[in-house]
Parts: sequence; C-alpha cells; structure tokens
Amino acid sequence: MSANSNRIIRQTLTIARRDFVATVFTPTFLLFLLSPVIMLSFGLVGAGGATSMATNAAEKAQIVAIVAPDQQPAMRATDARLRRLFGRSDQPPVLTFETPKAQPASQARATFAGAGADTTAALYGDLAAPTILYGAQGRGDSRYLAELAEGTLRADKSGAPPVSTATFKPIARERASSGGHSQAAFFSVFGIFFLSLLLSGQAVSTMAEERNNKVIEILAAAVPLEAVFFGKLLGMFGSAVLFVGFWGTLASQIAALLPAGMAGGLGEIGPAIGLPLFVPLFFAYFAMAYMLLGAVFLGVGAQATTPRELQMLSLPITIVQVLMFSLALRAAGGADGWVTRFAEIFPFSSPFAMAAHAANFSDVWPHLLALAWQALWVAIAITVGARAFRRGVLQSGSGRWFRRAARAPVAGE
Amino acid sequence: MNDLAISATGLVKTFGGKRVVDGVDVAVPRGAIYGVLGPNGAGKTTTLRMLLGIIEPDGGHRSLLGHSHPRDASDRVGYLPEERGLYPAMRAKDAIAFMGALRGLDLKTGRKRAVTLMEAAGLGYATDTKIRKLSKGMAQLVQLLGSVVHQPELLVLDEPFSGLDPVNQERLEALILAERDRGATIVMSTHVMAHAERLCDRLTIIAGGKHRFEGTVAEARGLLPMRAHYVPDRDDPALAAFLPEGAVHQADGWRFPVPDGGVEAALKRLIDGGHGIAGLSIERPGLHDAFVRIVGASALEGAQEIAA
Repeated sequence: MSANSNRIIRQTLTIARRDFVATVFTPTFLLFLLSPVIMLSFGLVGAGGATSMATNAAEKAQIVAIVAPDQQPAMRATDARLRRLFGRSDQPPVLTFETPKAQPASQARATFAGAGADTTAALYGDLAAPTILYGAQGRGDSRYLAELAEGTLRADKSGAPPVSTATFKPIARERASSGGHSQAAFFSVFGIFFLSLLLSGQAVSTMAEERNNKVIEILAAAVPLEAVFFGKLLGMFGSAVLFVGFWGTLASQIAALLPAGMAGGLGEIGPAIGLPLFVPLFFAYFAMAYMLLGAVFLGVGAQATTPRELQMLSLPITIVQVLMFSLALRAAGGADGWVTRFAEIFPFSSPFAMAAHAANFSDVWPHLLALAWQALWVAIAITVGARAFRRGVLQSGSGRWFRRAARAPVAGE
Repeated sequence: MNDLAISATGLVKTFGGKRVVDGVDVAVPRGAIYGVLGPNGAGKTTTLRMLLGIIEPDGGHRSLLGHSHPRDASDRVGYLPEERGLYPAMRAKDAIAFMGALRGLDLKTGRKRAVTLMEAAGLGYATDTKIRKLSKGMAQLVQLLGSVVHQPELLVLDEPFSGLDPVNQERLEALILAERDRGATIVMSTHVMAHAERLCDRLTIIAGGKHRFEGTVAEARGLLPMRAHYVPDRDDPALAAFLPEGAVHQADGWRFPVPDGGVEAALKRLIDGGHGIAGLSIERPGLHDAFVRIVGASALEGAQEIAA
C-alpha cells in the first residue's frame, strides 16, 4: 500500500473517530439509544388504549338464545365445549338464554334494543331450523349460534357424552417453520429500515453541525473530500453498530425471559439460510443500506443551508425510502415474481430485499453477487455524494441546482 | 531543492460564469513571510484555496512544496481559514491535537505539543477548557496553534488578524514571527496594511481577480514619490501659488510630491514670496498609499473594461 493510501486511511479514521466520540459521548446519544423504548412505550400506550376500548366493547356484547328451558342445559354444555376452540382474545360474546314468549320473533328483535348489553346475534325457533338475527358486527356470532344449535341437537340425539379425551403436549420444532421464515424476513426488512431511517437523520444533522462549526474547510484543506465524507459515514456507522449491538444483545436474551410457550413460538421464527450465516449477512446488508442512504443524506444535507431547505430536500428522500421499504416487504413475503426480483436488484431496495431473501431461501451464492453489486453502488453513492458535498459545502462549482433555479449564484471571494 | 515554497502561474477560477480569479501568479520564496493583499472580494481566499488544493483551478499551473498536486504535501502544510471553525464541545488541547492528527501527527504527541504551545502563547490555563467557553480571540489563537502543531514547512493564514483585539493581534504577530524563525514559510492574506508592512518580506496585490503587483514592501512603496510635509508660519490663501504642482492642503499643513530636483527650489520660492517655514519633513509613502494607488488604478481599469 502506498504512503498516500496510508495517509488517506489514517485521516479517514481520524475523522471517523472524532465523529464517533462526538456522537456517542453525549446525553443525546442516550436518547437515541433508548429511542426504541420510547417508541415502544408510545406503542404500548396506544395499544393499551385500543385494547381497553375493545375489551369494554366485548364485555358489553352478548349473543342470545331464545330456547325452551329444557334445552338450555344442553346448549350451555355445547357452548362450554365449543368455546375451547377459541383463543382468549377470539372468544364469542357471552351466551344469554331467554325463555320463548308468545312472539319469539319480536322477542328476538327486542334484545337488540335492550339497554345494558349489546346483542350481536339472537337465535329463536326450533333448533332444527332456527332463525338467527344479527347486527352489523354479529355475522360471525350468528354462525356460532348456528353451530351451537347443531351441536346441541347432535348431542341430544346421540345421548352419549363425548367419547374422545385428548392429551395435549407442547412440542418445539427443531427448525423454523415456513411461516417463521417469512416472519424473520419481515423483521429483517423492518429492522434495517428502522435503523437506517433513524441513522440517516443523524447524517443530515452531522452536516448541519459542520456548517455551523465551519470546520469543514479545515478538514477539506487537510484531507481529500471523499475521505472526509467516508470518515463521517464510518463515524456514524460506528455509533450505529453500538446501537445494533446493544439492542441485538438485548433481543437475544428476550427468549430466556419469556414464558415457555412464547419462547417456543419464537423458536419457530428463523431464517432459512441458518442463523450463523444470517447474522453476518444481516449485518452486511445493514452496512450497505446504511452507507447508501447515509451517502445520499450527507450529499443532500450538504446542499441545504437552512432547516427549511433541509426539510424540503429530506422529504422526497424519506418518501423514496418508504417506497423501498414497501418494495422490500413484498419480497419479504417470499413470493417469487418480478417485483421481488426488481426489489432485490434495484440498488436502494436491494439490501432490504436481500436480507429478506436470506430469511426466506437457503441459497448462498445470490448474496455474494448482491453484496458485490451493492458495494459498487456504495462506491458510486459516496463519489457522487462527495461531489455534491464539495459543491454544497465549499461552494466550489456551478452552484446548487435548486437555488440556481431561483436566482443567479453569488460569486465567493 | 526548489527555492520556492509555492509557485503558481495564470491561476483561473470561475464561479457561476464570473471569473473571480483571472490569471494570478504567485511565487513564494522559502522561509519568507509572504502577503497576499487585496480589497474585499478581490479573490484572495479563492487563490489560497486553489494553492492548497481545496478547490481545483479552472486554468493555470501550481506547485506547492515541489508537488503539482497540493494534497501530496498536505502533511507539511498548516492552514488557518478565513472562516474560523472548531468543534465547540472539544477541549482546547484536543482541538489542537485533532488538527495535528489530520496532518499526520499522532494524537498523544499532539496533546503534549498543544499544552506546550498554549503555555507559550499565554493560554496555559485553558488547555482543558471547552472551545465553546473560550472568547473569540482565544479560540482564534487555539485554531492558529492547531495549524502549527505538526510543525509545518508552510503555513497559510487567511485574514489571521480579523476580529482580534490589539493584545491578541500582538500575540498573533509574535506567533507568526516565531514560526518564521523556526524556518517555516508563511503566506498570509490581509487587507490591513499595517500588519503586512510590519511582517511581510514580499507581497502580491490582487484586485478584481487579477494580479496587480508582486515584490517587496519597499518596492511597493517605491511606486509612489516621496512627499514633503510643509507647515507654514501663517495661514495665507495665496500660498498655493508658491507650492509645487499636486500640493494638497490638510489640517496639519501642506503635502506635495518631492520634485525630481528636490525640495530646495520650492523652499526658495516660498521664502522669496515672503512665506515662513514653521516645519518641514520628508515623508516616505506607506504601503497603505501604494495599495490604494494600485487597487484604485485597477478599479479604474475595471470600470473602463465594463464601459467598453
């Protein structure tokens, strides 16, 4: 390696180190590190509210069976048996009995108008051919009432208690399921997207910092601008790795803290390519996504001199980023089609889509190709970004396109 | 070994269709303090940026410490830009060490030298102070120390005195002279003539993006004739008729260019006309006068170019 290359590497690392230290050893970084907790807290509060509303609604709901008193015990027993088929959150509304009066049809209609409980479905008439009324939310419940009538009659006609008694034993799969692969793919895409979104914001603020401090000229005088640019990316990448390491370690311990049943469920989620290969691949794709987006954001950030300009330029990029996310989510579904292939090849969605590919499929060679392809685009993005950076920050060039459109550039001294 | 630390010929830079530097030549001898003078907007900063390789010229040739690519010599160069910039959260000694590290000095040595340099500059008490807590003048000195901590062969200072109070200006002058005594070549841009006159061995004057003058301070001053300062013994409106052409009345007397044959003939004429002499001195024109004349002439030339 030439002395020149050594010097550039050394200078790049000096800038990276400064940016890493300046980012990590601040109270703001703690906020950044804990941002998932903050987001999760908001999510939990929101979800808690929604669950509470749903629970309240469910507690007030009822289904009504207008049947003769002698049929009610059998129906109650059938209801108890059928309810075992549903999970805790999917239980049908509580079953209420009424004894038929002179006009059972009117009686059934009247249950929907009653105060205190919301009837979602009501059954009346002969159990062999019952009539079931249902409200806007009660279509499923009406079918449950029909099944209840069927089950009650069958039990009544056979006259025998249930003849099969099952023993339930949980079992943990040795390998992740196909559904688990898709889930792993979704988590990979979401993870990379979430991280790159958080960190690309940091890239823009780094530029704002350099502009305010006016240090950029000192850096540019000593170090090739490409090295300044790459050093800044590396510095931010270092803080990103710290972030990923922190949350990765926590996430790996989550299974140990969960109840046995839930931990078993997590065991079904896994990448098709195998965890030992998936971890470095995820990391590599995260690095590529980060470098690509970071280069774009740094280049864009260098063009803006005011927060308003920054917002104006960041918005379309964020929209494109979300578009890439959507594209990669399609690939995460595991569907083999042109959209998936496009997402895997298009440079800015490729890291997301290929991480999903690693979760869905076990072949290794496409990743070697994809990483080489993405590395090429990282090099292109850094070169183009550094030029934009030079033009924007040092005002060396023909001016900024969006400002040039508005007015003639001012010649600097 | 080349005797020139920097040589450049015909440097050209265009921004947005306007030539802000138009054929500037620079030749900086090794070991000299070299001034780049010019009015605001003359193209000084752009010229320095091109010489250092921060921006690329659109035309012309340059050589910096023997390298046609200035970056190849970047570890041997120190630079104080016109717009001062330091990271506010850094401690002063770390900021100096960081700037040295960019130029190839390891951080540990950089910190040691930073402390020594700050003590020598009278800032020893502030080595661990964060930049944001320093006054503007102190921060500027810290930045200058950062540009010399790696002991460069060439030090380029863009408007180093701007914004400094007289005490810090004196400190800065002392630092520049100390660097020269160490053997460094110093290039500094300024539009304050007093500093250039005191410090510079040679200078170039740029105006309107063009090179207008290159030489020593004495040569610049030599562009103008010496002036006589005559104080009459009494006010007399008819006095002007007895003075040489170009005489100007000022609050403290009259000033006129010394004629080719000397002032004797003019004095004789005054005495013969009945005017006494309360005072007489011969003044050498300052760099300020030479600068105004050179830059004024170029402004006239520029106006003629626009009119044409």
